[in-house]
Amino acid sequence: MSTFGDEKTVELIRDEFIPVAIDQWYTRSQEDAEGEFYRRIAAQGPRTDFEQTTQGFYLADAAGNLLGYNNNRHGTPLKRLLIQTANSFNENETFEPIVQDIADERYTRVVPEGTVTVRVNAKILGGYDEPESQWDEIFQNAVSRDNLWILSGEIESLSRGEFPVALATRIARFHLVDNTRGEPVMWRADQVKELEISLSDGLITGNAYLETDDGKRHYRVALRGHVEFEDGRLSRFDIVALGKHFGHGWYTPDPPDGEFPLAVTFRLADGSSVSDSVPPQGTKGWLPQYVELR
Amino acid sequence: MQWLWMFCLVSAAFAGCSNDDNAAAMPQVSEELTEEQFEELHAEVIRPEELWLTIPWQTDLLAAQQIAVAEQKPIFIWAMDGHPLGCT
Repeated sequence: MSTFGDEKTVELIRDEFIPVAIDQWYTRSQEDAEGEFYRRIAAQGPRTDFEQTTQGFYLADAAGNLLGYNNNRHGTPLKRLLIQTANSFNENETFEPIVQDIADERYTRVVPEGTVTVRVNAKILGGYDEPESQWDEIFQNAVSRDNLWILSGEIESLSRGEFPVALATRIARFHLVDNTRGEPVMWRADQVKELEISLSDGLITGNAYLETDDGKRHYRVALRGHVEFEDGRLSRFDIVALGKHFGHGWYTPDPPDGEFPLAVTFRLADGSSVSDSVPPQGTKGWLPQYVELR
Repeated sequence: MQWLWMFCLVSAAFAGCSNDDNAAAMPQVSEELTEEQFEELHAEVIRPEELWLTIPWQTDLLAAQQIAVAEQKPIFIWAMDGHPLGCT
């Protein structure tokens, strides 16, 4: 059973806890009240070097006392821990709310005004060997998730029937990636060897070729999609990118051998999912690299 | 012309790398995508409705702490490398 594949586990988290999902790469380093609260909790667990990852599931009370920790991909130990913690939690104990006075700006990502979010999914369509375990099968069939931001000026360009170069560059560098097995390596500007995306009568067509200088990673890809506006509002932004990918990043080992077909799809987010509000992975560490493209 | 040249290069490269066993299952990859391919893949490559997304996740730890105080519940923190809700 995978971590969240069990209804009872999900029910426990939903009903008995206040669930929060964070990228601990940010939180463990933040010099503000949120960072201090996280480190207070994590320091009681097994991962106390805040220069390294502290990932896992933490159960804590509102004062920051650790009630349990788990980092097992099998769901059963986590469910057991959730039940134990829920049963032993003292509901009568009172705590004080912690207020963030000044957020650490180095780790704050503000969505530029007028930005539209697009859901991005990727999947490897073939090339793997026969799976040897349940986990192989999960990885091999994984559909990744990320968000693309389209900035307000770019939406104006689209409404005029132009596909902005900055948007094409953002898609190529930060979204034409194999993120199906973990955090991907993005493409540097000089690794975009060819890129052409055009818009004509609402139809998007294009091609890109991305390659590292050492030849260890490349992706040659064709794109097709549709853009529509209703009452001046962007109402459709659907794209499919399909091509042959080769290689992997540090956190995405074990792709299929040789070149493999990788598809990436884009569709407007409707705000119905909490993940629609998560900043794109490409903004991680330095927002300008993602939004200040030409 | 540039793309025609590239297409020939890509086709040759694909031919050189193809595995007969895998080839039949592989989607056709070419310089251009047809409308049919677009529609098929756009429908296929999407995250299905997932149970864990029915959980009302907070994305701010202090907001979660404040709710925990008000509702007198413990906090469940899912801490990952990359955002769990955005890079999964």
